[in-house]
Amino acid sequence: MNRSEVEDFLYHEAELLDEWQTEAWAALYTEDSLYEVTSPACADPTKADARNTLFLISDRIERIRGRANRLTKKTAHAEYPRSKTRHLITNVRVTGDEGEETKARANFAVYRTKEDTSTVYMGEAFFTLVQTAEGVRIRHKRCILDLNSLYNQGRLTIIL
Amino acid sequence: MALHDPVREEELVKAEPAKGSFRVHRDAYRSAEVFQREKELIFGKCWLYLGHDTELQKKGDFHSRRVGGRDLIFIRDKKGEVRAHYNSCTHRAAKVCRERSGNARNFTCPYHGWVFSSEGGLVSQNAQTGYAEGINEDGHLDLRPVERLEEYRGFWFVNYNPNAISLYDYLDGARDQIDALMDHTEGKQIILSGEHTYSIRANYKLLCENSYDGYHLFPVHASYFDYLRDQLAGTPGEGLIDKTLASYNTAGAARALGNGHAVLDSFVPTGRPVAQWLPSMGMGTKAEIEARYDSLVRRLGEERAKYIAETQKNLVIFPNLVINDILSVTVRVIEPESHEKIRVTAWAMGPDDESEELRALRLDNFVSFLGPAGFGSPDDIEMLEICQDAADHTPIEWSEISKGFGRAGDPLYAEGPPDDEVQMQAYWTMWDSVMRRINTLEVK
Repeated sequence: MNRSEVEDFLYHEAELLDEWQTEAWAALYTEDSLYEVTSPACADPTKADARNTLFLISDRIERIRGRANRLTKKTAHAEYPRSKTRHLITNVRVTGDEGEETKARANFAVYRTKEDTSTVYMGEAFFTLVQTAEGVRIRHKRCILDLNSLYNQGRLTIIL
Repeated sequence: MALHDPVREEELVKAEPAKGSFRVHRDAYRSAEVFQREKELIFGKCWLYLGHDTELQKKGDFHSRRVGGRDLIFIRDKKGEVRAHYNSCTHRAAKVCRERSGNARNFTCPYHGWVFSSEGGLVSQNAQTGYAEGINEDGHLDLRPVERLEEYRGFWFVNYNPNAISLYDYLDGARDQIDALMDHTEGKQIILSGEHTYSIRANYKLLCENSYDGYHLFPVHASYFDYLRDQLAGTPGEGLIDKTLASYNTAGAARALGNGHAVLDSFVPTGRPVAQWLPSMGMGTKAEIEARYDSLVRRLGEERAKYIAETQKNLVIFPNLVINDILSVTVRVIEPESHEKIRVTAWAMGPDDESEELRALRLDNFVSFLGPAGFGSPDDIEMLEICQDAADHTPIEWSEISKGFGRAGDPLYAEGPPDDEVQMQAYWTMWDSVMRRINTLEVK
């Protein structure tokens, strides 16, 4: 994939999230996928492994679907009433392209408004995208926040 | 101006055993004035958790932490001794340590260049002239050590009252819970890599109450149980959730442990890496978990082994430390910023001798439910924030914490079924007696 194809795809992912179409978002992930958000306290977040370091989020496909499904429910109290979100994706770079698989990086800023409080989650996302018969899918997404804690944001209950 | 007038000090906790009534005035959550008194009496007189021994692996390792509103350096000095210094230059107040953690032989104040050793001694004033000889003979210019620093099985606590009772006595029945946790393994329990740091717009006591509340489980965590049901559908574990939840209140107990500490012992079928294997955990860890159970039996006997392996334990050590030994182990400390805002730091704990696979499962369990992005804790947090918001903006005076009250004699050692509120009654009874100076927590 070239940069503009990657951009189109990431904009599509962002749009699904901002429209709260979480289950359609989960359908963008492959069966062997991993969606991760490292903890702001993590010493080396690009190399860290959720198998031996505490992350904020480390979801394989079952939990990606579980997260997406939970967010549709009124009993997901943390997101009821739902937040408003706006995902901004910039500085997209293709860093590897081998066969079906494309690696890319992008900067992001995600704004969340819950009740009357707005906060921002900013950072860089690392993607492994794959071409399938159904279209482009995400095999791996790791978000690394430019934060030292979640003291300002409180919690992370939206999808980045 | 608040909607409500602050009530008198002695009326914040109202216990009427004959009526089975236990009430807490909402000013205890919403009043800045009450919080000012708490800073002096609760955070000035109780033992407060600082950190775990295994966070300081090497000589010189340090963490800078805020504990009860005071900034401290938690350090293993170059001789290997654990210390806690106030993080402020004795010259003109600047912070001498601006990093969250690291390794240091000395701390150099960035303002005028005073240098302090890891033991706290003033090594250099960065000046050739002007100071009288022997100006620090009495050591008053050394980094100020905290008044008291003691540990129990690797858990280091500070106390800002030099006359406080020992940590050992303070912990009372909570020691047995710490023993149960530290005895998980023949090896060593360690704080694992990484931490969660987040905030909640609520009074710190609301999170304490929530951390061992068996009563809230079904309404608040319905969506988590839905998720577990979905995960187990079509596996041998199918039906397990509903079966166990139906009998939730018939086994286990909420138990007060003295000095305001309490534990909730309960049974929820999440599987426990310590030594309770369930099909949902995967075949890869079955043999190891069973071997760990055998080790518990060998070391501690069948009854204790069963308690350690099978019981979910939600422990609150008064006033602000939570240790939840549930589907994973979390050590969670609650630092109040004000009467209506807290910072939470949470770590995962696990044995140093577990396999990579079991470690991965432990951490996976942790993030599935716990932390600011899990499927459980954020829903709790939302409840605390709406409690605080509504308490702040309605005139209603009392919160009702009466469930199970009045059956036992001393609330500080009461016991009841898991969805009673005896653990909170114990907490508030202690809080009340410290706030009213009935219990000074001092050596007589």
